[in-house]
Amino acid sequence: MRIVPLRNRAGALLAVAAGLLWVAPALSQETVVVRAKLIPGEVPTDPMAPVWNTIPPTEFPMSPQVHWQKRIGSVTVKSVKVRGVHNNKQIAFMLEYADPSQDPADAAALEFMVGDKKAHFAHGQPMGQVEGGPVNIWYWRNDAPGAVDMSAQGFGTLKKQAQQDVQAKGVWKDEKTKIKFKERKQSLRKDPKGELVKDSKTGDPIVDEETKVVEQEVSGVWRVVFTRALATTDKEDVQIQTGTFPNVAFAVWDGKKQDSGDLKETGSQKAISSWWYINAEPPPDYSIYLYGLMAVVLAAGVEFVIIRKVKKGQPA
Amino acid sequence: MRGPSLAVKGGILLAVVFAALKFVLPLFTAPLPMSLIWLYLFLATIGIVVYGTLSAESTEALLGPVFRFLSGEGIGGMAKSARLAVLALVPLLVGWQTYSGLVPSSQPPAENRTIHPAPPGEFVGLSNPVPNTPENVMQGRGFYSAFCSPCHGAKFNGNGAASDGFNPPPANFSDPGTIAMLQESYLFWRIKKGGVGLSVEGHPWKSAMPRWEVELSDDMIWKIIMAEYAGAGQKPRTWE
Repeated sequence: MRIVPLRNRAGALLAVAAGLLWVAPALSQETVVVRAKLIPGEVPTDPMAPVWNTIPPTEFPMSPQVHWQKRIGSVTVKSVKVRGVHNNKQIAFMLEYADPSQDPADAAALEFMVGDKKAHFAHGQPMGQVEGGPVNIWYWRNDAPGAVDMSAQGFGTLKKQAQQDVQAKGVWKDEKTKIKFKERKQSLRKDPKGELVKDSKTGDPIVDEETKVVEQEVSGVWRVVFTRALATTDKEDVQIQTGTFPNVAFAVWDGKKQDSGDLKETGSQKAISSWWYINAEPPPDYSIYLYGLMAVVLAAGVEFVIIRKVKKGQPA
Repeated sequence: MRGPSLAVKGGILLAVVFAALKFVLPLFTAPLPMSLIWLYLFLATIGIVVYGTLSAESTEALLGPVFRFLSGEGIGGMAKSARLAVLALVPLLVGWQTYSGLVPSSQPPAENRTIHPAPPGEFVGLSNPVPNTPENVMQGRGFYSAFCSPCHGAKFNGNGAASDGFNPPPANFSDPGTIAMLQESYLFWRIKKGGVGLSVEGHPWKSAMPRWEVELSDDMIWKIIMAEYAGAGQKPRTWE
């Protein structure tokens, strides 16, 4: 076996480290931004359209809604994968998430800030020291055709807009998918004799907690596509400009009917995300290459003049 | 033996200043924006030039190597190739910098959230009116389990079952950088007014912390505060 000299190995390691440093920001950013890719032709309204398989998803963790009453302790959907495309006129987002059952009350929503003012992610509720703005909510429910375009600025203000601009379509497939989520296990600490170990200060039994990421296979996947024009004439709508980073949040309801007759998740009992970002890819602007080239030529010219001047100034 | 020229020393100094500001400083505090780093480098360069032009000798020591490099006088062999490479690289770097400045950003806007913004005056200096007795702490633990632990965790570590989707994540009370450096009055404000009560630098629009004054009495909140300190093994900050 040929042994690589130490210096070469160190060089290779350095190259790999530099490569990782170069790539790391690109990878990390994909946890906070939904990139809506610019595509030619019509944006897909069908959740099963082949183009979706060419778009890398961004996955967002979901939490039970605990911010306001009525709360919920645990939710079915632990994360959503989101893809986006646009064609400079229309934009489409596809939410994909595991849900073992297809129920009439299954639902999903996107939420956006409207205007320049920051809005609280919980329906744009008023903030104590900040004048917040409204939110625009795109809502889809399995047993209702299309989508509902809504506005809110605080709890109890949610209303259907007069001008409906959003379309949506959902497809549930009985296919297997793998999900990852954090599992927490708590246990009372015991000594080798099997006796409970107690805190020396408080006398309380000591609880140990183990958290691990669990991968689970789930049968059943929702794919829901929302489409809308990038810009609309409705002042209550979010206006999406290419190249910008509007805020977005997600909500999902598992509408499964329980034995009690109640829906598992309904109303404020739902899975929610925090604010994240969308970014509609701007159309290519080739002028920046021209400006870069002009800068190279200009800098080379200045360099040439300086060198010439220095050479002329040299003593013979 | 002659040491490195003033020009080389100046270059090394600039490299050290850059490395300290760019890589070492962020280990202790918030990273500086590049614009500010360039400003410091510019000021350091002016200082080097002023120092290097105090006398004819020092001017020669500072600028002589630069002029010889530019003219190529007395440079041969490998050094000649290196000189040509540097001269070719400079315009390319200028072009790259121009391109980088014009290309649309793929990064979302930076968010410099202040984790512990100043509380409103009405909450400053409040003292806990509830006696710190085992019974009250026990009651507080019960309230904590019911209202706080889903996010902040049964172990007070911010790792509750409902915490995974929230950005920013719930506070980890066992971390010495959270409640241990705050007074009880601060916690009272944060629990009572919740995320929406934060000032603009606290990014209230992202916080999932409920406004508990809607559901809990002041007495319950004070007891929860005692339970949080006891459970996390921390003590509130006090004025010595």
